[in-house]
Formats: sequence, C-alpha cells, structure tokens
Amino acid sequence: MTKEVYVCETADIDEEDVKRFDYEDQTYCVYHTPDGFFASDGYCTHEEQHLEDGIVIDNVIECPLHQGRFDVRSGKALSAPVCVDLKTYPVVIKDGRVYLCLETEPVT
Amino acid sequence: MTVETFAATGAASSGITLERKTLKALCRRSDLPGLIYLGKWALALVISGYGVYLALGTTWVWLAALIYGTVLSVPVYAMSHETAHGTAFRSRWLNETVMWICALLYLEEPLHRRYTHTNHHTYTWHVGKDSQISDIPMTFPIWLDEVSGFGLIRSHFRILTQLAAARYTETMKSVIPADEFPRLRRNAWCFLGFYVAIGVAIGLGATWLWWFLVLPTLLGRTVMLLFTVIQHVEMAENSPSILNSTRSCKSSPIASFLYLNMENHVEHHLYPQVPFFALPALHRELKDQLPTPDPGFWRTNIEVLSVVMRRSLGRGTKARTIRQAPHMITDGGTAP
Ligand code: FES
Repeated sequence: MTKEVYVCETADIDEEDVKRFDYEDQTYCVYHTPDGFFASDGYCTHEEQHLEDGIVIDNVIECPLHQGRFDVRSGKALSAPVCVDLKTYPVVIKDGRVYLCLETEPVT
Repeated sequence: MTVETFAATGAASSGITLERKTLKALCRRSDLPGLIYLGKWALALVISGYGVYLALGTTWVWLAALIYGTVLSVPVYAMSHETAHGTAFRSRWLNETVMWICALLYLEEPLHRRYTHTNHHTYTWHVGKDSQISDIPMTFPIWLDEVSGFGLIRSHFRILTQLAAARYTETMKSVIPADEFPRLRRNAWCFLGFYVAIGVAIGLGATWLWWFLVLPTLLGRTVMLLFTVIQHVEMAENSPSILNSTRSCKSSPIASFLYLNMENHVEHHLYPQVPFFALPALHRELKDQLPTPDPGFWRTNIEVLSVVMRRSLGRGTKARTIRQAPHMITDGGTAP
C-alpha cells in the first residue's frame, strides 16, 4: 500500500532547486528539475550530509559537502565520492500540489 | 534514513549562515569563467615560457624557469583542487578532462585526490582524521621539508607506487570504496608510465622537456607550497569551527589569479560547493561574520617562517600580524 503525503505547492520549489521535507521520523528531499518533480532520501549515501543545501543542475543533485552527484530521477550515483545509489520515491502532482508517495506498513 | 544531526566541519559547525537564495546564486555553475581562465593561463604560459626560451644557455634560465614554473604549478594545483571538487565547469566532461591533465602535472592520481580530499573537508584540521594535516606545531625542519617540495614529491610517488602495487594504506581504505581500487591501480600504472617516458625522452636528448616541464615544475612547486602551507598552519587543530582552523589572506590580483581565489580559504571550507569564480562574492556576503583576513601572501609567509624558526630555536612564538590559535603561542624555552 502507498499513501500520498502532501509536501508543498509546486510553486514553492523553483526549477533546478531542492526542498527538504521531514515526515514522521524520516527526512527526504524533493526536487524540481526541467523534467518534473522527484524525491529521494534526504541524506547523501557517502556521509551523513543532508542534500537540502545541494545544488540542482538539470536532473542532478550535487551534495554540498564533497560534491558527489546523483541523478534524482533514478537515484543513480554518478561520480566519486558517491558510489551507492540514493533511494528515490514517486511523486505525484495534483492541482498544483506536490505529494510524496510512501509505502505504508502492512496491517497485520 | 532517520533524521539526525551531523557536524562535518563547514558553515553549520562554525555558526555561519547565508540566505538560501544567495547561496544558490553563488553556487550557479558556468563553463565561461573557467574557459576564460584557461585562455588567460595559456597566454601567461606562452609569455613566461618564451622567457625561458630566451634565457636558455645563460644563468638567467633558472630565474625564468622559476617564473614560468610558478605560472605553471600554482594553477595546476589550484585547478586540480577545483576540478576534484567538480566545481570548475558546469560541463562535467570539461571538468574531468581538465582534472586529468592537471592531476598528471600535479603527480597525483585524480581519484585518489578526489577521495582523500573528502576527509579534509569532513574533518578539517582534525588530527588522525584529516589526511592533509601536517605535523603540529610546525617546526623549521618540517616547514623546510614541506615548502621545498621534497615532502610532497616523496608522498606523491609513494602513493603512486602503493596504488600500482595494490598496497593500499589504511587511509586509502577508509575513504576509497574497495571496488574502486582496480581503477586507481590502472591509473597509477598509466601515470608512472608517463613519468618514466618523460625521463627516457630526456635521457635520449629531448632536453626541452627538462627546461619546459620538469625543472619549472620542481621550482614552481616551492611557490605553490608557500600558498598551501599558510592555509591552516598555526591555526587550531580539532576545532569544529572553520574560523578557528583555517586562514584566509588578502591577496594581490596576480596571486588571486594563480591561486583561483583560494586565498578565500575560510570561505571555501565553509561552502565548498561555491565555484572558484564566486569566492570573492562569497567573501563579500560573509565578511561581517568572519575574522579579518591575514595580510597578503608574502607577509603571511614571512610571519609563519619567523614563528616556526623561533619555535625551533626555543624562543617565543607569538605572531604579530597573523591569526594564531592561543595554544600555538609560547614564551619559548621548549625547543622541540
Ligand atoms: S557527503 Fe555527500 S558526497 Fe560526501
């Protein structure tokens, strides 16, 4: 099961920019690129550095600490020092609003 | 991943703030400033190299080679650093191409440079964690080894041979993923092969390589190391604050050009994602939150040399014109 969690209005994130989104005890980044909106885990996979101050170039987020780069569409690690891919999440846009799609725990 | 705080050394750990919109504008990447820089640098190399050509066969050749070597070596260092960060150009292929050429001239395998530089930013000037830290406190013999270039050349060739022989050190293993080592090893063999080929070519009579590449590189490295030695020396080790561990200096336009504005070194460590061409603007944005930069290149170096000599002679080590961590200042009588 997935649930859609409201993040912000589409106009709240400029194109080629990133916004931090904390939900429950998790932290995420939501990106606005020329190809649309995307989301990933908030922390870089290299060291524990949040990507919220990173720079978005086309579809790439560059980590602010060591400038490791990820493709935000797939989470693929593109260049050293990052080697481990970033976990990504689906994003849906409805009525100018950005929603993050998260898996819900199965009810037992 | 769970929300938690992490204090790599940088703006946050130093209590420095900058409005997000301003930071984003400063981080904007472009190919143009880097390409203009490469053009000016090539012109400077041609002019200073012509000086070497004119001086060949006279004793002036050593001075000409020092000048040309400075124009060659300082930007090689600065560009290899900037491209290791990936901030020199917007186009990745351009950044990586320049990184490889500069790494070849800097004598360091480029991926090793990129990976090991990470802990210099995560743990800036932290003993046992920052692989670029020098012996603290600095004494005259250490200064001489560092500034002469012998220490760096020894270290670079040791690293290349260790990589080529797959004898990876604990430092390498701590920052480089295991599956990257075959690439580094292959690159190290290529680099060593290139240097051997240069040696053989000189031996076979291509003496121009000696006058225009090897000798200027050796001489210019000393000047390059005078730029780098003052980045952190006499500042506080193991501090979370970049303001305490790192030094910015005033600089002449020529020194700023050769060094890619890296005299704004505090600013670079606070926001390493800001490209070299935006560092002066970053300095202007932050200057009210930062200590006044130390005096220029020469005055700072002379002061550092004076302090390390006095330390080695067992005299007082208080510097008069540069910033210094309080525990670096002694009354003397404790010569190492
Ligand atoms: S922490 Fe992100 S690249 Fe190092």
